[in-house]
Amino acid sequence: MKYTKAMKLFWDKQTTVNRSRSTVDSGQWTVDRLWTIIYGLLTVVLVSSCTHKAKQLPIFGERKWNGKDTVYHTIAPFQFVDQDSLPITNATFQGKIYVADFFFTSCRTICPIMKTQMLRVYEATQTTPDILLLSHSIDPEYDTVALLHDFAQRLGVESKRWHFVTGVKDSIFKIAQTSYFVSAMEDNSEPDRRIHSGAFLLIDKQGRIRGKYDGTKEESVNQLLVDIKRLRNE
Amino acid sequence: MDRQLWAVSLLLIMISCSEKNTKYNQYFARGEVLYEKQCSNCHQKNGKGLGLVYPPLASSDYFEKNFNASLCLMKYGIKGSIDVNGKNFNKPMPGVPSLTELEIAEIATYIANSWESNHGMVEIQQVTEALRTCNTK
Repeated sequence: MKYTKAMKLFWDKQTTVNRSRSTVDSGQWTVDRLWTIIYGLLTVVLVSSCTHKAKQLPIFGERKWNGKDTVYHTIAPFQFVDQDSLPITNATFQGKIYVADFFFTSCRTICPIMKTQMLRVYEATQTTPDILLLSHSIDPEYDTVALLHDFAQRLGVESKRWHFVTGVKDSIFKIAQTSYFVSAMEDNSEPDRRIHSGAFLLIDKQGRIRGKYDGTKEESVNQLLVDIKRLRNE
Repeated sequence: MDRQLWAVSLLLIMISCSEKNTKYNQYFARGEVLYEKQCSNCHQKNGKGLGLVYPPLASSDYFEKNFNASLCLMKYGIKGSIDVNGKNFNKPMPGVPSLTELEIAEIATYIANSWESNHGMVEIQQVTEALRTCNTK
């Protein structure tokens, strides 16, 4: 009741203003109104495009049309072993969002920086059990289960949230290159005899890549933390 | 004559002091560059290390108690268990064999005077002495 009364008062006031204006210059009044409409529409368009953008992260890789749906690139089937000797496959990450990277424990170039940054992701996602971390060793012969177990323990992280995996070397290199689209290979000209990307990959619940970040840069990892939240809200 | 002598000696002291300062600044600055190239990936730019994987160098009792060994391990690496600030670390660190005595002195000067430490300059002679005691087997 109060509301309608207030509205009526407001409306009366407006119309009085408009009426008095229209008597002065009716042409100006039409132009003003037109501009209001244009601004209104523009605002709606801009706001809707912004919110649309904020809702969805991009989906990486090739996409195909199967006649019914768009089929997106997903991480190929894999089987590795983690620091607790548990088999780690795509099923481990079913219904989970995860962040993947490639490293090796004896690396002294970019890996330690990546591990410092991944530890930040681990700490930031402590209260969200639907987010897991997956670090692949690209030196699986040296990085045995026991060594990875020791490494994880020294980092002070839980095995069920952060899997450090080892396995067949060629399978790890292949999944890096063809599924995650990052480089990982042996190179005898390097002091550590191998080169690999410092990227962190954000994978959604359907196994699709939704973001790629520089795991050696604090700012890029800040963006990852923001995007994890966005992906959870999708 | 006496006054002249006094003035000259004062001047000499001032020059030698500023020379020492310049030398320290040079060591520190080059030490910082070398530290960021050779050490900071693991021990981190803030010297705090990472978990129980990489020991801290900032306020590290190991560096203070095992000064000679700390200079040796830069060049020759270290294996086995060590205790740093009451915590046990046991991952091998590869050395950087190409480091010269001057470079080791520069890195040590940087570490000894960073992150709230203020131990003053590390001279080349100290490095030469220390490297004689290294257990390189």
